[in-house]
Amino acid sequence: MYKVDIEVDAKYSFCPGPLLKLFEAAKKAKPGQIIKLLATDPAAPDDVKNWAESIGHEFLNVDEKGEVYEIYVKIIGS
Amino acid sequence: MSKLSIIVSSERLDKLYPAVVLASSAATMGWDVELFFTFFGLLALKKGYQPSSLSTDYISYNEIFSEAISKGSMPRWDEMLIKAKETRKLKIFACTTTMGLLKIGKNDLKDFVDDFAGSATFLDRSKESDINLFL
Repeated sequence: MYKVDIEVDAKYSFCPGPLLKLFEAAKKAKPGQIIKLLATDPAAPDDVKNWAESIGHEFLNVDEKGEVYEIYVKIIGS
Repeated sequence: MSKLSIIVSSERLDKLYPAVVLASSAATMGWDVELFFTFFGLLALKKGYQPSSLSTDYISYNEIFSEAISKGSMPRWDEMLIKAKETRKLKIFACTTTMGLLKIGKNDLKDFVDDFAGSATFLDRSKESDINLFL
């Protein structure tokens, strides 16, 4: 669906684990790149959406595949 | 930008973790964050000391908690802080009253401590915060 540049696996990590892993990946990403975050924490989709909005990245979508959320974020600035 | 100030008054994991989780999330969101470690919270900042226990009320959960940390599903509190500090948005203050009371010197504190503060300094700094918490 999206051309994923970086995949981050944060499955079975509780809040704020997924956010911290995503944050680390976002620091290394270039503007325009898309990160796919895998998480099982039920708070992760909303947390990532709030994080992206407050930091200025673009929250693209979330796909729920069984217990795993596939969350897509587009990096805007650095 | 929003600002969060937290007074960390206990090094027991059931108090320390909520403080550090909120602080590190806020820092990654670009918020300014200040943590004031006071009274028995200050023990967490002492070199050579690793907080490892929940409060007595919750002691039966100690094993579950330790397992989550050792498996990595819950990051270690100090690693979360150090990572959050890379944002340059999070500052850690040690309460000088407690340092005097517990005989903890400046050189006894872990390297990630930014500064020392008395109550008036912290009150003055936190009055401009959007959120102030005591944990």
